[in-house]
Amino acid sequence: MKWTDELRTAALVGTGRHDAPAPPVELGARPAAASSREESLLDQAALVDVVRRASRTAASVGAGLRVPPAPTDTEPQATGEAARLLELLLRQPPVGLDLRNQLLVDWLRSAAQARRRVPHRLLPALFAVAENTSSVFRVLDPAIGTRGRWLQDVSTAGLAHSEPRRSVHEADEAAPASPALDTFTIARQQLSTEWNSLSARARASHLKRLGYELHDEDEGLLEKGLDDKAKSVREVAIALLDRLPRSARAGRMAARLLPLLQVKGLLNKRFDIDLPEDPDAAALRDGIPSAPRSGEPDRLARLDTIILGAPLDVWTSVSGRSPEATAALLKEEPRVLALLTTAATSRNHLEWVRALLTVRTDARLLHCLPADERELWLERHIRAGTEEPDDLASLLRDLPQPWGPALAGAVLGVISGKEGTRLASMLFDVLPTALPPEAAEECRRLLERTDDPARRRVLRDAVQYQSFRQSLTEAFR
Amino acid sequence: MVFMGRWSEERVINAAPDASSLAAARKLARPGPWSDSGSNDTLVWGKCQGSGKTPYQVSVDVVAPAYRCSCPSRKFPCKHALALLLLWARGEAAEAGTETADFAQEWAAQRADRATAKERRDSGKPADPEAQAKRLAARLDLMDAGIADFALWLTDVIRTGLAAARKQPYPWWDAVAARLVDAQLPGLAEQVRQMASDIHGRTDWADHLLMNIGRWWALTKAWSQKDGLAPGEFADLKAAVGWATPSAEVQDTESMPGPWLVLGAHRSDDGRIQQQRTWLRSPEGTVVVVLDFAAQGQGLATPQLSGALLDATVARYPGSAPQRAMFTSAIASRGVVTTLGSGDSITEALLHESAAVAASPWRVRHPVLLGNVTVSPDGSGWILDSDGRALPLVDAPLDSLLALTGGHAVDIFGELEDGHVRPLAVVVNEMVVTP
Repeated sequence: MKWTDELRTAALVGTGRHDAPAPPVELGARPAAASSREESLLDQAALVDVVRRASRTAASVGAGLRVPPAPTDTEPQATGEAARLLELLLRQPPVGLDLRNQLLVDWLRSAAQARRRVPHRLLPALFAVAENTSSVFRVLDPAIGTRGRWLQDVSTAGLAHSEPRRSVHEADEAAPASPALDTFTIARQQLSTEWNSLSARARASHLKRLGYELHDEDEGLLEKGLDDKAKSVREVAIALLDRLPRSARAGRMAARLLPLLQVKGLLNKRFDIDLPEDPDAAALRDGIPSAPRSGEPDRLARLDTIILGAPLDVWTSVSGRSPEATAALLKEEPRVLALLTTAATSRNHLEWVRALLTVRTDARLLHCLPADERELWLERHIRAGTEEPDDLASLLRDLPQPWGPALAGAVLGVISGKEGTRLASMLFDVLPTALPPEAAEECRRLLERTDDPARRRVLRDAVQYQSFRQSLTEAFR
Repeated sequence: MVFMGRWSEERVINAAPDASSLAAARKLARPGPWSDSGSNDTLVWGKCQGSGKTPYQVSVDVVAPAYRCSCPSRKFPCKHALALLLLWARGEAAEAGTETADFAQEWAAQRADRATAKERRDSGKPADPEAQAKRLAARLDLMDAGIADFALWLTDVIRTGLAAARKQPYPWWDAVAARLVDAQLPGLAEQVRQMASDIHGRTDWADHLLMNIGRWWALTKAWSQKDGLAPGEFADLKAAVGWATPSAEVQDTESMPGPWLVLGAHRSDDGRIQQQRTWLRSPEGTVVVVLDFAAQGQGLATPQLSGALLDATVARYPGSAPQRAMFTSAIASRGVVTTLGSGDSITEALLHESAAVAASPWRVRHPVLLGNVTVSPDGSGWILDSDGRALPLVDAPLDSLLALTGGHAVDIFGELEDGHVRPLAVVVNEMVVTP
């Protein structure tokens, strides 16, 4: 046992129960004459303390300690005002955290465009934000430069290595979760080869999976689904076949719908729609509801099923007009319009989507439109003043940013109007970043005029965001 | 020459006693509530409209920082003084050129009077030497008794064993510390209190406690032989037990001219006391440390920028090198350097530390400039030199060090403590930066 170990043992249990060891002669220490056990141990502790501290040696470098140094950066670092703005955003953000994060994204994009990189000293603070904010994380590269990528690799603290989980707020922007492509193929294969050995639940869930990426070729499996003994499987097959207007079932539904439709009226033309008769076996197989055991059959529900399953062309062929003119003939038939909306949106039938939008507003229809067309439509409707703020806010939230100046002008018009407070509070987190730079002046003007806290808040945020953006643009010029 | 000029916003931020004062000051730092503001070479003043009828009168001496405000806040400096300084720093208020406001003038005059009176008092007739000697003798008696009592406690601890000491509750340690304070040994008391938490917080508590008990024991032995110690050795011993040297005594000693290079600085806050250590080096290579203390909620002295060259004179406290020191003149910046000079290898640095420990065994911290070293991200971080030696880092912002150095060889100034390096300044791309 080493001297120091003996000393520690004696000290731990106490000299009352353990003798102090003798100090090693090579250190030249001699025990003081007539000293007690305690004093001897304390003397030696003092000796160990000073010997250790006066004779410290460094460890040898182990193989794992050295890391290859970072390669030289290829882009120059952002300096002057650009660097100052980044530091401000990271250390003393002048705006709320959501806006701060958006401005960081803007900074990183501007830097990438100007071929500048984040100054080395600011990388840790930037990574600390990116670790919790996926929108910032996604645009780190290339602005973090070679040093930033090296730091991500070598740091043991896990500096923004992987994308953080999206926050609830950010989840809205993300694409809806869809299974990986492989799962479609697997589902299709299993259904084709093992239909009979799969449980009803597995058959239904595999069929559902096909719905994420439905093809005309899937018709065979879906037809098989119509014959399935499990109701849950049949229901999935029916819903999916509704989305295939070129399928045989769609043809059968067209044949059932055609005799029910007639255009009547000389001046005031409109559709006259009959209700279907009791279904035969083939119609039952196609999903048309049977008669209940007691009471009257729901013939309207049968009509609904036929309309949902039939191709939309049936309507134009009966009216002999364009989809838009055909939709106009159905103005007084809200139930039918709702069904046609479901059919048009589930099949992504753009011509019918546009036609239906002339007679009704529906978020599903708008979603089918390309973004610029959607924006134009919204702008026209805002100006017409037909929408409720609640509906409007949810439609506006889904638009890509920044909006065009015309739409921005229309929205600001509503916000500055009598009922604007409600829309302002609903859009407070979207508006600052959604408004284009051209709208900044108008925001400033409105801010000066209004005393309403909700409106002031959203307008102030918008002004701050735009002025910071402006500084960013100038800093990277 | 007094170099001051307009403060930077950062300097104002550093003067804030806490974050909430700063936040409150930021809200006030707009021209709206302010009137009659102005500034000259030494003073910044203004009136701030609060909730009451009379506006608060705020005056700040920006040369020897001092603050006055008629508000009832216990924060010092208060939010009004900070807000005024922020506005002034941004050039949004308190422009120079206006006539000094009466209240600011009056305050400055009072301060000047008090300073003169103190000077007169200090330079006046020395106190009665007989009474002074009597007081000193009484103090030494008290300390002797305290040390003897402490030595007895150490023998008791070692008789019953360290394992038993670890089981003792905090009040047991606190009682010992309180007795040391009563015996005018506050430095020792602080170490004992710290040990009460260290033995539960450290995995190597047994060795740590044993080493410290050894050091305390050596200290009691040294105290008993204090009459035979050289003045420098006694000064180190006095510092270790917490016998403060009056700054007036230091001020009277020979001042060393500059320019002084700021090697690095460290701030700490243990919840009761804030401490700032600033390491300086003279052109001849003498390294000293300036210590500043402030109670909780008070502003510490303005930190000096690592790598700055300061025109100032410095007087040293007695003791072995590297000595504690204090500024004895106004501080003027001469700009910044591009290098801290050539550094040591790790082995050389440890040798210097050994020599310092041999000269003063109470020393626990040693300044070190390491040349051509790299930072390794392993664990809590390491510093590696070109000879293949390594030292672990302590209190180090590792990500910042890695970001700044990129794993390339650099010079690092820091403090050696308990076998670890605490990095305080890094030289990269011909700039001295704080990691």
